[in-house]
Amino acid sequence: MQDFLTLLGYPFMQRAIAAGVLMGVLCGFLGSFVALRQLSFFSHAVGHAALVGIAMGVLLQVDPTWTLLPFTLIFGIAVLYLIDQTDLWSDSILNIVLSGALAIGVILTSFIRGYRGNLMGVLFGDILAVNLTDIGLTLLLLIASVSILLATLRQQILLTLNQSVAKVQGVAVQFHRYLFVVLLSLTVAVAIKAVGILLVNAFLVIPASTAKLLSHQFKPYLIGSVAIGAISSLVGMIVSGTLNFPSGPSIVLVQFCLFLIVFGLIKLTAAWVKV
Amino acid sequence: MTPILPSKFDTSFPVIQVSGLTVYRGQYAAVENVSFDLLPGTSSAIVGPNGSGKSTLVQAILDLIPHTSGSVQIFGRPIQKLGKLRHEIGYMPQNFIFDRSFPISVAELVRLGWVKTDRAMSQNAALSQALQRVNATHLRHQAIGTLSGGELKRVLLAYCLVVPRKLLILDEAFAEVDVQGEADFYSLLDELRREESWTLLQVSHDLDMVGRHCDQVLCLNRSLICSGQPETALSPQNLLQTYGSTFSRYHHQH
Repeated sequence: MQDFLTLLGYPFMQRAIAAGVLMGVLCGFLGSFVALRQLSFFSHAVGHAALVGIAMGVLLQVDPTWTLLPFTLIFGIAVLYLIDQTDLWSDSILNIVLSGALAIGVILTSFIRGYRGNLMGVLFGDILAVNLTDIGLTLLLLIASVSILLATLRQQILLTLNQSVAKVQGVAVQFHRYLFVVLLSLTVAVAIKAVGILLVNAFLVIPASTAKLLSHQFKPYLIGSVAIGAISSLVGMIVSGTLNFPSGPSIVLVQFCLFLIVFGLIKLTAAWVKV
Repeated sequence: MTPILPSKFDTSFPVIQVSGLTVYRGQYAAVENVSFDLLPGTSSAIVGPNGSGKSTLVQAILDLIPHTSGSVQIFGRPIQKLGKLRHEIGYMPQNFIFDRSFPISVAELVRLGWVKTDRAMSQNAALSQALQRVNATHLRHQAIGTLSGGELKRVLLAYCLVVPRKLLILDEAFAEVDVQGEADFYSLLDELRREESWTLLQVSHDLDMVGRHCDQVLCLNRSLICSGQPETALSPQNLLQTYGSTFSRYHHQH
């Protein structure tokens, strides 16, 4: 613990904790809609396709953040467009574009000369390496997401429940679907640097699912998802600092444990009520 | 004496005018050359066998799917030009609540139907009144996942009537209301129609209900086989033409 307090004194650790908590909040918030709109495989595909964006950055010798953001954005919109324009199931489309993008990503990576060691960083992320730009981007996305989605919350819930009814009531369904995918794709891109391609989806799926187990009303569900996201990040960073575990996986482990605990408690309470 | 109209709409001007409506689903004409009018304050039912295009017709009327030819006017305008009049339409499809585990309470759900209009009450007052009218005040804080089938349907009706509307379109939304709820349910719909001159259009399988509560029946089997008052439209000959020879009159089983 003493070690951890010393660690807290370092600016990189402070940035990492700030980034982790901000991402927990942002992903918990968007994740609550992702879970109900069955978009988790969508964010999974966007996350994996991001490899192309990162490899492009390395090959063009620019900061991968600036190739990653536009790439995931265009990829996300293109995928939604494909889903709308064909009568294939969306998981087939997602599998197709995910495989295609991964193939391109791996081939591009093979062109990278010399040191390829940071590939592990791409897969698992490095929250200790986030800089102020990353934190600024996360904050910007958080402000945009919260203000857009909360200002139109009733329309958002309605179009999540039933798109036809939303359309008859005058909700601009297509506009909101694409807007959400833009926010979601950018969030995935920003979070990848901290937690990596493989674990980014945990941030979107686990806190929201845990909140769904706990609450059967929308507002408590939304708040719960955000709170669980934030707490998991904070506790995860403490675990990571104290035990010297990798940070991203530590946060995901905390999210997973919270999910199991909530599940167990609900089962126990149900059994208790029966007795 | 000039009657006092409840709104700016003329009582004899059709709420919905459908003329020559044809809808293709791929290469297949799911609805062909259908024309009818709905007058204000009337209750109409679309009946027909499975796959006869009932839901397609409703979705085309609401512009949820494109139509190939013909025209639809609601309140005398094409639906794209309705503007705020859109809020005068209540629409309830069969699968409105697709996922019963959706985290939402009864009060939150009913509030979704509310919009700020000139005629609407405050959101809280409207919510209380809507829940009271369907006898669901006690369910206010419950999650929708905990409701019985009959309770859910009453709550969905509260969603429809949380703001005053001119037109309510039900696409088999209330197909399985529980037995004791059924009479209350239809008498509430009749009351809305009489007192607030709502116009009702519903897709139904229950010909007994249609006979008791509707002024107009539209028998659909891709094209309109017959239409008119239930006594004439539901004649054995018309039913045979609509449903085909294998049909025996459907009675609601409980």
